[in-house]
Amino acid sequence: MTSLELFRAVQGSDIAVAFGNAPLFFGIAAQLFHISGIILILTPTLLVAMRIAGTGLVDYSPAQLERKSRIYVATGLFFVVFSGIFMLIPSATLYQPNPAFQLKFLLLPVALGIHYGFLAKIAKAEYADKWLAKLIALFMVLLWFAVGMAGRAIGFLAA
Amino acid sequence: MSLHDVFQAMYDSRLGTALAESLYVYPMVEGVHLLSLAFSFGLIVLVDLRLLGIALPSIPVGIILRQLRPWMIGGFAATFATGILLMFALGPKLLATFIFPLKLFVILIAALNAIWFEWKFGRDQDYLIGAKGPALQARIAGAISLTSWSFVVVLGRLIPYFDGSF
Repeated sequence: MTSLELFRAVQGSDIAVAFGNAPLFFGIAAQLFHISGIILILTPTLLVAMRIAGTGLVDYSPAQLERKSRIYVATGLFFVVFSGIFMLIPSATLYQPNPAFQLKFLLLPVALGIHYGFLAKIAKAEYADKWLAKLIALFMVLLWFAVGMAGRAIGFLAA
Repeated sequence: MSLHDVFQAMYDSRLGTALAESLYVYPMVEGVHLLSLAFSFGLIVLVDLRLLGIALPSIPVGIILRQLRPWMIGGFAATFATGILLMFALGPKLLATFIFPLKLFVILIAALNAIWFEWKFGRDQDYLIGAKGPALQARIAGAISLTSWSFVVVLGRLIPYFDGSF
């Protein structure tokens, strides 16, 4: 099964048709949840990255901030995933060939992998290489912003 | 000169034309306008939640403000600068419905609230370092800020839905 066939099947599913026929209010609500989710991911991640870089909320340790950020990032991901599905599946075959959508879904797993694979480790006080920690934190923030920019570009490239 | 004339002049300017016709710059400006919310809106929400006693309760408000203010100002500068560029690119279309004027009005309320907060508490060292408990007025200012900036974000997202010309 090719990805286009998969997206076509998803778009033809009962739930996708139901989402597609939902009143405009639900589409607007989905966009607002998507934006809220992006902010819930980006702002706490920025605060942790800034703290690793030695600035921002310096009264907390990077590890403390990272722990506090988890609930916000997880909530943001929940918002982003469910609102994203709501927006995606009624028009899945329009999204599939869109290069910005493809880029977003290349960058997203990398951002998630670095976030959940490295952030807690580099935020620990005993992490030896401070410069490497700062570089990883910066790269992770840039990756999340790139995911956001790719997501925003979807609408422009589809137009 | 009416507000419509001002927006028309912005739209007709070389900058407005260049932005409106640009294949890449306009989407980038819009993207930065959205993502800079992580600095501006995201950090102001954190401060507002602290004023309301919900987030980071162990750090006095003044210390949080001192540590985050440069980043918030940078975020707001990026959000406002890109917002003005979008006004050049979109011109009088923005005035076709009540949404954008309402957004500007709510921004004005949020800005006046921030100015009042700075005037009232900006030099109150006892309050800022936590020697005094959270004042009711400061909590009200936090609630007004949280509500008004959230409303601004919602209104911003509603603009394209209420004007079919976008």
